[in-house]
Amino acid sequence: MSKLLAWRGWLVFAVLAALPLLPWMSKYYMLLAFDALLFGAVAMSLDLLIGYTGLVSFGHAAFFGLGAYATAVLLERGVLSLWLCLGLAAVVVGLYALAVSYFATSRRGIYFALLTLIFAEVVYTVFRYTQTFGGSDGIQGLPPPEALPGVALDTPARLYYLVVAYLLLAYLACRVIVRSHFGRVLVAIRENEDRARFLGYNVQRYKMGVCLISAILTGLAGALYPGRAAYATPDLLHWSVSGEFLIMVMIGGLGTLVGPILGGAFFTILQEKVSSYVQWYNIVVGLVLVLIVLFVPRGLLGLRQALRGRAGREAA
Amino acid sequence: MEYLSGVLLPQLLHGVVFGAALGLLALGLTVIFGLLGVMNFAHGELYMFGAYAGITVIGLTSSFWVALVAAPLLVAVVGALTEVATLRPLYRREPLYGLIMTFGLAMVFREGARQIWGGGMRRILPPIEGSIPLLGMIYPKYRLFLLAMSSALLLAIWLFFTRTRAGIIVRAAVQDAEMLDGLGVNVPRVFTLTFAGSAALAALAGLLLAPVFTVYPQMGVEVILLAFIVVILGGMGSLGGSVVAAFVIGIAQSLLTLWMNPQRVAIAIFGIMIVVLIVRPRGFFGREGVLE
Repeated sequence: MSKLLAWRGWLVFAVLAALPLLPWMSKYYMLLAFDALLFGAVAMSLDLLIGYTGLVSFGHAAFFGLGAYATAVLLERGVLSLWLCLGLAAVVVGLYALAVSYFATSRRGIYFALLTLIFAEVVYTVFRYTQTFGGSDGIQGLPPPEALPGVALDTPARLYYLVVAYLLLAYLACRVIVRSHFGRVLVAIRENEDRARFLGYNVQRYKMGVCLISAILTGLAGALYPGRAAYATPDLLHWSVSGEFLIMVMIGGLGTLVGPILGGAFFTILQEKVSSYVQWYNIVVGLVLVLIVLFVPRGLLGLRQALRGRAGREAA
Repeated sequence: MEYLSGVLLPQLLHGVVFGAALGLLALGLTVIFGLLGVMNFAHGELYMFGAYAGITVIGLTSSFWVALVAAPLLVAVVGALTEVATLRPLYRREPLYGLIMTFGLAMVFREGARQIWGGGMRRILPPIEGSIPLLGMIYPKYRLFLLAMSSALLLAIWLFFTRTRAGIIVRAAVQDAEMLDGLGVNVPRVFTLTFAGSAALAALAGLLLAPVFTVYPQMGVEVILLAFIVVILGGMGSLGGSVVAAFVIGIAQSLLTLWMNPQRVAIAIFGIMIVVLIVRPRGFFGREGVLE
């Protein structure tokens, strides 16, 4: 097994860590970078399911939103510890993911996608109409969480470093998983589920395992979100958000981990930048998606790999 | 007895009316699914286009009846162009790509509608006003027209698929497109025309329901999940199943609102769906193992 992170990987994270030192990194750009990396991390977690296991989840917004609500509920009640927020998010999202994946993994293909979608819609409906959680307004005006007692994550730079640290840890976790025996079995399931079963693997247990990991990683990212936004609203749980997560993975390239991080960052920045110039940014974003599916179905990173592969063959 | 004619019966009839319109919407979805293997996320936006195209045509001609003919034709053209430009290149790829592609198209269409017609709520006045006594209750005439019109269309579609050569070719394409191609039929043209037809049906449903509901850019998002549920419940690719399931869902939703608040109804419908997907994923009349 080779090193967890090649020197280029460490270099990228070193550059990310140095980013706030740049003079033109205003508060606005710091928060944009926060969003880009956070949604990059979410897309990477989703890639474990779609890219590696071949399971298309159309319900990841529920994991993200539940994580956000876990933090919001605690912050609203004056529990400011970031670690408690993350812990509660992991427990809540984990339990929900266990229930969903138990039912959803019993079905394949498009039925899996639809089951995850409908379960997520149930969660959306519950939060949208329950007054304890603020109904359609959600929970607003939250105080910043504290990393340590008295150390509030109230500046863009602190938030930014938090998300860089999260991305690094989540990425390392995903790398360990996809390179482990467990990860190889997931790929085997994607390639030929029946054969994996004939080899004696309990396919459903592997699928539930990867669902749980992907959901908790997404939920933890969700738990970081209210620290930046100061709110959690039911919009975070809507199925169109799940669709956006899928788009991020597709833009980046399935089954590459790094690709979806880039895809998530690219999509977030594209949406933010285009929306500050034109009102009809959804047309631009939708068209970019259509063009990518048509012309670069393997995503940004897939494109690069394809080019490199071609160059390699020509050289040989 | 008063409860029956004052509450239960009108609500039941509301359910039947809505179910018939939902059937029109779901039929297009299920045919496209059977044909292309694509769950068309943009179907709700074609439904929305139908209502807005209707508003424009009514604005020009001040006639609902002209709109009822013109709007579906306009949306059919949009559908055909979309199919040729975006879905045709995806025929040989995994269904997942179609799902994601249509998600992007839906974004474009929704925002396009907001730019063209504005984001506010619009209404279409019912072309037939007044109510008539029916089985001891007073029922709006337009809803009865809606029921008659939808039922006639459903019947026409059934005749199309069973009695006409074109309908049989479409069914053959659902069965085995490659074989049909081998028999010398221009399969891509069948796909495009069917997509246009499915768009026209969605538009008809949108325009017919517009005087009952309101018209706004997000209206497709509200209805598409329900249409998906109908398609799955009926059995993916099964035409008769979709119609039966549309009536079941329409009536269930309508009757459940008597005893529950709307969000509980939504959750109950999702619950039905989850149980069906787990216990009998092929739905009422679907073939076993389709896309599983």
